[in-house]
Amino acid sequence: MTGLAILLTVAAIGFGLSRRFRIPVIPLLLAMGLGLSLARSAMPGEAFDHALDLNNLEKILQLGLAFLVFAAGIELNPTRFQTQKKAAWLVGLTQFSVAGAAGFGLARLLGFDGISSLYLAIALSTSSTLVVIRQLRLWLRMFEPFGRMVTGALLLQDLLMIVWIVMLARFGEPDAKLAQSVGALVGLGALAVICQARLMPWLLLRLRSRDGKRPRVEPGVQPWLDEESLLLVLLAVLFLFAGGAYFLGLHPVVGAFFAGFSLSSFPLNGVVRSVLGSLSDFFLAVFFTALGALITIPEPDLLLRAFALALMVILLTPPLVTIVAEASGLSSRSAIESGLLLAQTSELSLVLALTGEIAGHISRELFSAIALIAVVTMTVTPLVANDRSVRWLLKFHPLRRRLPTQSGHENHVLILGFGAGGMWVVKPLQKAGHDLLVIDDDPAVIIQLEKLGIPCLRGDGADEKILQKANAAKAKLILASMRRVQDTAKLLALVKDIPVVVRMFEDRDAQAIQALGGIPILNSQAATETFMEWFSKHGLAGKDGRDSLRV
Amino acid sequence: MTIAAALFALAAHGARLPAIVAYLVAGLFLGPMTGMVELSEGLALISEAGIVLLLFLVGLELSFEKIRNLGRVALLAGAGQVALTALGGFVISLTLGFTAIESAVLAAVLTFSSTVVVVKLLEQKKEFDSLYGRIALGILLIQDLAVIALLTFLSGWAPDEAAGLGAVAGNLFKAFGGMALLLICALLAARHGLPRLFAWAAGSPETLFIWSLCWCFLVVLAAHVLHLSHESGAFLAGVSLAQLPYSHDLRRRVHPLMNFFIAVFFVSLGVKMNLDRLNEILLPAIVLSIFALFIKPTITAFILARLKFGERTAFHSGNVLAQISEFSFILAAMCVAAKLIDEQLESLIGLVGLITISVSSCLIVYNHEWHRRMQKWGLLRLLRASQTEEETACPVSAQNHVIIVGANTLGRNIAQTLHDAGQSVLTLDTDPGKLRGLPGATKMGDAQNLSFLEEAGLPRAKLLVSCLHIEDINNLLAYRCRTMKIPCSIHAIDLSMVDSLLEMDPTYLMLPKVDGIKLQTRKLKELGFLEP
Repeated sequence: MTGLAILLTVAAIGFGLSRRFRIPVIPLLLAMGLGLSLARSAMPGEAFDHALDLNNLEKILQLGLAFLVFAAGIELNPTRFQTQKKAAWLVGLTQFSVAGAAGFGLARLLGFDGISSLYLAIALSTSSTLVVIRQLRLWLRMFEPFGRMVTGALLLQDLLMIVWIVMLARFGEPDAKLAQSVGALVGLGALAVICQARLMPWLLLRLRSRDGKRPRVEPGVQPWLDEESLLLVLLAVLFLFAGGAYFLGLHPVVGAFFAGFSLSSFPLNGVVRSVLGSLSDFFLAVFFTALGALITIPEPDLLLRAFALALMVILLTPPLVTIVAEASGLSSRSAIESGLLLAQTSELSLVLALTGEIAGHISRELFSAIALIAVVTMTVTPLVANDRSVRWLLKFHPLRRRLPTQSGHENHVLILGFGAGGMWVVKPLQKAGHDLLVIDDDPAVIIQLEKLGIPCLRGDGADEKILQKANAAKAKLILASMRRVQDTAKLLALVKDIPVVVRMFEDRDAQAIQALGGIPILNSQAATETFMEWFSKHGLAGKDGRDSLRV
Repeated sequence: MTIAAALFALAAHGARLPAIVAYLVAGLFLGPMTGMVELSEGLALISEAGIVLLLFLVGLELSFEKIRNLGRVALLAGAGQVALTALGGFVISLTLGFTAIESAVLAAVLTFSSTVVVVKLLEQKKEFDSLYGRIALGILLIQDLAVIALLTFLSGWAPDEAAGLGAVAGNLFKAFGGMALLLICALLAARHGLPRLFAWAAGSPETLFIWSLCWCFLVVLAAHVLHLSHESGAFLAGVSLAQLPYSHDLRRRVHPLMNFFIAVFFVSLGVKMNLDRLNEILLPAIVLSIFALFIKPTITAFILARLKFGERTAFHSGNVLAQISEFSFILAAMCVAAKLIDEQLESLIGLVGLITISVSSCLIVYNHEWHRRMQKWGLLRLLRASQTEEETACPVSAQNHVIIVGANTLGRNIAQTLHDAGQSVLTLDTDPGKLRGLPGATKMGDAQNLSFLEEAGLPRAKLLVSCLHIEDINNLLAYRCRTMKIPCSIHAIDLSMVDSLLEMDPTYLMLPKVDGIKLQTRKLKELGFLEP
């Protein structure tokens, strides 16, 4: 109990610092845990170790890892990235193979033997589903194209990593054993797919498939389990898969991943998330703090080599992912965001290292080094994956250097950001005979606009240079719908005496824009008016109103 | 263990039996019957954490106001019940041939009821706020205080048994002094330190949750240092946070975590059961169980009837207390350690616990049916209680109202406009800061949580409007509304989400981006860029 109290106290400090300084919590939890580890090594005797209860701490760590991998698996619903399938596969495969190959090469250069280098290479080739999904959720950007792409890439990488974990665990053993493990993996995976598509939605939510299509929610059909029973059943699914994996000679965490995946279909994943929410928060806090606390700092030589490998992940992944993502059709900004977001190693690398250590392939020190690389890269990601870094990196983007000469437009209507509803903006203005120029970062939008013969420039509407190229200062009207209010503020500082109409959601942003001389259009205000029109028509009639609302 | 618990819980769900019974049977199956599971240190830690979290939850329920309201009844009924049941238990144990000390221990065991079982089942039945639920909670509180005093006494007694009476008195002084110190610190923290700290953390639900857990385990640690039971520390930690406006949200967040840990605790109870000497202990176990199941509730109901409570309230209050407490197991273990009783008596106490918790769980779950039968048989007339009822059900909850989820600009605008139009509005958000100044009712909490939505009266609402910027929760709310057949209006953040939302067939989809473009077009007409 003392160990748990210490961990929770340290985690609580981490959460407090995260809130105070607006820093993501995972790096702080790891750092606080590392602080505990240093305190442990600095204190003479075993009193502190005894208080921390290391034996139980390791068990909590394993349980936490299994639970968090399970929770991450729930997020990997394949239909989520259906629209970004090609990009997801390309990014996932390229990162896995190129980062893996580079990792192997660097590890050999740094003097590691063949098998250690192979373990390091696989550990460096995959990003962390846990860290990335959490970051996307914090940014509220899971639904954006790049969020969907990144989710798909993570699923693919996790699967590849699992295959490698199984294969490496059987390294040097007879082929029959390897075939047996691969067979077990395929069987477990197939079971997870069947569960995901049909069994679990029916079992837990009573959803049935009609005409072979996806299971549908019928009105009035409620789940048959209360929250407590559902929680137990979900945990039973986790332990059944984990136990099954163990029984088949695989690591239980592999089973936990498949268990999560089996519950990832929509809307089941939402229900599961709602039940597991506080357990996830608890295990997140305890796992990352315990992980930091259990790291033993390797010898200086190995420590330096581990840092070199971590640096490789941090420096290689962003450009690699950016290039492939952009080539697959993502906008420059989104591609850079994806690159920064994926620049860390996975929690599964800990499982890989643990399996390697148990099999006697790698030493305890190398296990610590792999864990340390995970800690360093996971710590760095949330710190560098932010708007400021993206804007800074955009400066070096080749597209910006190859900007066309002055567009030649004058007295034109400049539209910053086309978006899904762009045609509703453009058509009436075209009809009214205005000269238009659209700036958008999405290559697919640019192709579409070129086909339609609408003048356009590819680039970021927040970029001063592109605004100059678009002759923004000589436009007669600017329509902007940029996500960040700071970008619009920059635009307003650049163009004076030109009406700038800006669409946004929050009223505090609208007030800021108005103060800077812009003309705010509040999407939320507009939606309220439309909603009230609908409500007046259907909601106010009748005593109850409930029936009349069914339109 | 979890798999067995889930399988037995599913079977119990099918047979409409309480989950607690399923856990205990699962434990018996895994332990004494098959020997598949042996208790490890890790499992003991999880079980202990389960009890700590449960007592923390019980404490979280008890604001000072509630304690004041319950005060007189709880004190009179609780003290009367403790005294009379202890006396009855002592006499019956002596009659069964136990020694005076053994009878005293058995009397203590029979006196106390299980807060874990009562709180858990009343919550499950959603009758926690009923009059009988509140009275039972008050009596349990008095019992808990007596138990804490007893545990404090035993923790002061046991360690230095050989060192003479002076050392024992010293230990007891330390234990009670420690309790007083902890109580004062917790109350001071509740008044001065915690409100400001937690108000700052409340903007981030995760921070609030982890801080509350940290506070709980820190107070438990302090209790440990002061040689007090972990349970008393957890309870005091809960009480000190119950005074905060976020205590309800905290309860909802801690609940699933407690459910997981407490399931392990109950299964462990079953696993630990020593049934080797079943033949020798079966008869006294049955007699003592009958006392706990039927005589103890009658004593409670009789006292409540004398305090002018109606027959129904008196019956239900007594009925929920018809089992022995999980503290009994701790008490028994401590008494064995103090050499006051032998291990056979410990097994007997375990068996009485198993029988009374199982049967009483069924009696609580089916309490209305049980009441009807008792009334039909005319047994309740013996109580000579009044037939008028002070209160029979929970307070009337909101209905035919509009629930708005998310107090962003869209949510606030809609709340204001609907309120101005004379609609009854309830706005929900995780951030209390965003709810400040809104018209109509507001409630802080996470709309992902089904019990929170039920508390907000979703099954009786006229409409749910989700204004959130979180796709997953919007989808989930659309699903919940469809299963409950409640009309809903959902925010489609982006056009790419419309397809998945339409699968849930929401009544109305809000598309602010599209509406914004329409408003912009109107503005351009005003500015003369488009023809009117």
